[in-house]
Amino acid sequence: MTTEIQAQRPGLRAWRTLVVCEAKMVARDTSGLIVPLGLPLLILLMSASSAASQVVQNGHTALEVFVLPLALTIVIAMIAIVNMPSFLAYYRRTGILRRLAVTPASPALVLVAQTVVSIVQALLGLTLAVAVAVVGFGAGPPEDLGVAVGVFALASLAMYGIGMMVAALAPTPNSAVAIGLVAFFAVGALGGLFGGMATLPDPLASIGTTLPFGGAVQGLGAAWVGASVEASSLIGMTVTAVVGFAVAAVVFRWE
Amino acid sequence: MASHDLAIEAIDLRKRYGSTEAVAGISLGVHPGEVFGILGTNGAGKTTTVEMIAGLRRPDAGQVRVLGLDPATDRGKVRQVLGVQLQSSALHGSLTVSELVDLYASLYARPVPTGELIEQVGLTSQVTTRFEKLSGGQQQRLSIALALVGRPRVVILDELTTGLDPRARREMWRTIENLRSSGATVLLVSHAMEEVEALCDRVALFVAGQVAALDTPSGLTDRAGASSLDEAFVALTGQEPEEVL
Ligand SMILES: Nc1ncnc2c1ncn2[C@@H]1O[C@H](COP(=O)(O)OP(=O)(O)O)[C@@H](O)[C@H]1O
Ligand SMILES: [Mg+2]
Repeated sequence: MTTEIQAQRPGLRAWRTLVVCEAKMVARDTSGLIVPLGLPLLILLMSASSAASQVVQNGHTALEVFVLPLALTIVIAMIAIVNMPSFLAYYRRTGILRRLAVTPASPALVLVAQTVVSIVQALLGLTLAVAVAVVGFGAGPPEDLGVAVGVFALASLAMYGIGMMVAALAPTPNSAVAIGLVAFFAVGALGGLFGGMATLPDPLASIGTTLPFGGAVQGLGAAWVGASVEASSLIGMTVTAVVGFAVAAVVFRWE
Repeated sequence: MASHDLAIEAIDLRKRYGSTEAVAGISLGVHPGEVFGILGTNGAGKTTTVEMIAGLRRPDAGQVRVLGLDPATDRGKVRQVLGVQLQSSALHGSLTVSELVDLYASLYARPVPTGELIEQVGLTSQVTTRFEKLSGGQQQRLSIALALVGRPRVVILDELTTGLDPRARREMWRTIENLRSSGATVLLVSHAMEEVEALCDRVALFVAGQVAALDTPSGLTDRAGASSLDEAFVALTGQEPEEVL
């Protein structure tokens, strides 16, 4: 009696429906928007004014070469590694995932829907922050806009790769924040979060540019001055994204 | 060896939490098309057992088959044919009744149309109400609707009517009768005697993680020389049934 039973994965309709449902929930509980919308702006305002007047490289200010790339990277890392997993951990804590575990829903479906909605929020916040940097502090566009967008997209995927691993495992919202912060500071510290890569010992610095945080900061800075992005950064971010997602889908906990 | 004629088969299931042996060697077989009841007091191991059958908890020992499949290793297949109402779980609180039904419907290949299902559980006037704003009984009915949305061949309902008022309870009983006539197999956990008596073809009485007796409701009554299932329960399990609404 088992021969005719097919294992059928939820189709496109399920992916779309879950994304729309997640988006509706965000729209209905707007307090969740404070971090993705407010954080980029806050970080930019804290660091922009001093850097805006300091020209460092062929006409580009420190704001464009260092501050903006760092701010964009901090923001996407914070939202991907700390903010997004806390929502999934909340679902796990309340038993929402437990209910989904007895349906054909897959870990990938749940992780990706959450990530898509989180990315849209992060993009809104980042657009706001970049607009403020341009209008308020006179930041100029990157020499190579295409490279900047590409690096940022790849960096986002890498950060969400790490975030998905946190989200897959953290049992409670508090532990998600704790694990997320540790992961954030670990990649951040090696990637120039505290005073630039130049202050790190050599071997650590080269590990740092390969990890997604340092890779993103370097890559965005390079795009702004029109230099080429280091291959090790691109490879590091790609590997982090792929490995993060694969590990998350395998170790995913429904409860 | 697992039998392929059974819709649900559990063989010597065991599960321990620390020093508590929640399930201490449970075996049962449910025939296709049967409505099978599990009756027992709080803590008897009913939820642990059905959640192991649903593939949600991993048994320490023993085997489970649902339509001949292992829910742990054949997850993808079992999920298509099994509908589950859990005793403890939650739904996205800020989604409405119809949004939730649509969401769960999207996970299955041939779902029941949303409107039809909502009407069946009597929530038509709450379609645009958020889950968190529903009464306990309405939440329960939605939860049952979601167990049925994928047209399951096997349905597990843990505490079907606990928390429902008498009218809603009768409506749920009708839903179970409809399921039965559609040919589905139902595993029903309850601690309400009259419900089990009214609905179930056979009943397993659970005591301390074991099956104390397994028979038709009238078979159990006869066996105990009792005049009602209530009395039979006391006689066969040595426990007082719990008052439930
Ligand atoms: N996750 C758990 N952790 C620890 N103990 C549990 C857990 N789930 C159930 N138990 C214990 O196992 C026993 C059986 O519980 P349960 O299966 O929920 O019984 P029932 O559904 O019949 O009320 C109880 O003593 C309960 O406290
Ligand atoms: Mg129970």
